[in-house]
Amino acid sequence: MKNLVWIVSYPKSGNTWFRLFLSNYKKNAIKPIQLRTIESASIASSGTDFEFQIGLDPSEMTGEEVDLYRPEMYCALSEKAKQKGEICYKKAHDAYIINNDGEPIFPEKISKYAVYFVRNPMDVCVSFSNHNAEELDKTIHFLLDEKSFLPGQKAGQLRQKLLSWKSHVQSWKNQTLIPVHFVRYEDMIRKPMETFGSIITFLELEYDEKRLERAIINSDFKLLQQMEEENGFKEKTQLCQHFFWKGKIGNYRDYLSKDQIDRIVEYNYDTMKEFGYIDESGALTV
Amino acid sequence: MFQDYPLNDVLIENCKGQVQHVSLPILSRPHLEIGEREFYIDIRNTAKYFVEDGSKITVQLYENTDDDSVMLFLNGSVLGAVLHQKKMLSFHGSAFCMNGKGILVCGSSGSGKSSVTAAFCQQEGATFISDDITPITIEDSTVKLVPLKTKLKLWEDSLQKLNIVRSKDIRRIRPTLEKYTIPYPNSSHEHQLDHLIVLGVHNQSAYQSFNIQGIEKYNILRNQIYRKSFLNGMPETEKYYFKQLLAIASNIKVTFILRPQICDIYGTAKFIKEKIDL
Repeated sequence: MKNLVWIVSYPKSGNTWFRLFLSNYKKNAIKPIQLRTIESASIASSGTDFEFQIGLDPSEMTGEEVDLYRPEMYCALSEKAKQKGEICYKKAHDAYIINNDGEPIFPEKISKYAVYFVRNPMDVCVSFSNHNAEELDKTIHFLLDEKSFLPGQKAGQLRQKLLSWKSHVQSWKNQTLIPVHFVRYEDMIRKPMETFGSIITFLELEYDEKRLERAIINSDFKLLQQMEEENGFKEKTQLCQHFFWKGKIGNYRDYLSKDQIDRIVEYNYDTMKEFGYIDESGALTV
Repeated sequence: MFQDYPLNDVLIENCKGQVQHVSLPILSRPHLEIGEREFYIDIRNTAKYFVEDGSKITVQLYENTDDDSVMLFLNGSVLGAVLHQKKMLSFHGSAFCMNGKGILVCGSSGSGKSSVTAAFCQQEGATFISDDITPITIEDSTVKLVPLKTKLKLWEDSLQKLNIVRSKDIRRIRPTLEKYTIPYPNSSHEHQLDHLIVLGVHNQSAYQSFNIQGIEKYNILRNQIYRKSFLNGMPETEKYYFKQLLAIASNIKVTFILRPQICDIYGTAKFIKEKIDL
């Protein structure tokens, strides 16, 4: 039985927001679920999970070696969830990667669905730059680099190959083995009932409009900011002040220069157009 | 290649053909098979290992493998399996002795247990006992740290932060990794274990510590067992460890320490020293 659902995105594209929504929806919570108790979709690149399931220390292996074992790790997690009769949700920032055995690291045989969150790459850039407390130019380079990856080893995570922003999106779009539902971050803000509702339907979860409305309110961005302010959030990095920073559409306009915008648009033009960030006339829509 | 193995009573043989598989595995995965007395693991592109009765390891090398990688896994997960088969409860931690007190620093990979152990050895004159895997014995309610001939392993940035100069004695653990073995002499005898520290990392800029009491102590100790997941294939051994863990929990102090993601290694050592009154 396929029982693993991948919650996929480039970093800072609404993945954690959705996980909080999902926690609230699944629990049908009356009051908002606190950030520290978020249970849905822990990250697929956890070094601790790898070490436990595979019995090897991933920090003493190369990223390529680790990728050989990742299908097996996810099969073990799927088996564990199956014994409890559960669907296992996993957050992932990896592109759809094929390992050196020629196998996708996300195995078809246990993968039920994937939900892919796509966000305007210029807003991703400023948010990711804030998250890492890094210069914007360095983040732009990351988003345009076909060899971009998040490091493993000392970070307690597995190495995650992200590739460029456009190749990340296309890698998941072009694969045919896992059914994927693409969701735009901007639609989560502009038309939440329709957008979150479409994910609930896609995932074959019981659709209940009142429950949906409540879960959206309980995971409202402003509320998440408030909860982070009061109790902190473990997924924030030490140098970044807020994980839930601004979250607004078109935030890049306050931060990126024309040259920086041009570089991102030029490199990602076709994919941005495909997802509605550039209209038919070639103008930016956000 | 195998002369420096941490356990003297284990026979290690190279296998020319195919290494044996576990006859009746309780846990079976594509690369891993575990029964109560037998263990098999396939480390891709390095070697396949078969362990039996805690006394014999058979190794089948992959073509183009290197000795350092073969030894690294032999001294890591495979050693963990040997110790389980010997029913020697071992923790995922590094140990040292200072001012007559035996200290064991546990934590996930990357938490900094080796670095902080090195800091105590470098600056405070502590005696190095073992790195990464530390077996425990219990005699008349006294919990003891058993020294293993393992070498301390540090990332290159930790070498720099600890001002350890790279000499010819400091070698890469594997050709592909920027991690090095530090040849501190291991203690030659057992030390009483006084305090176990679980080192974790958080995104705050200040250190935090919590003394652990009651049943939580047992749960935390259980989570620090080296290669705890192997026990899913060794139910008898797991049962045997249960009593040992209870005995350990009632005879040692346990403190959970959270350090900032970005911090000074000597600062971490200083905080630990103050918190556990070392």
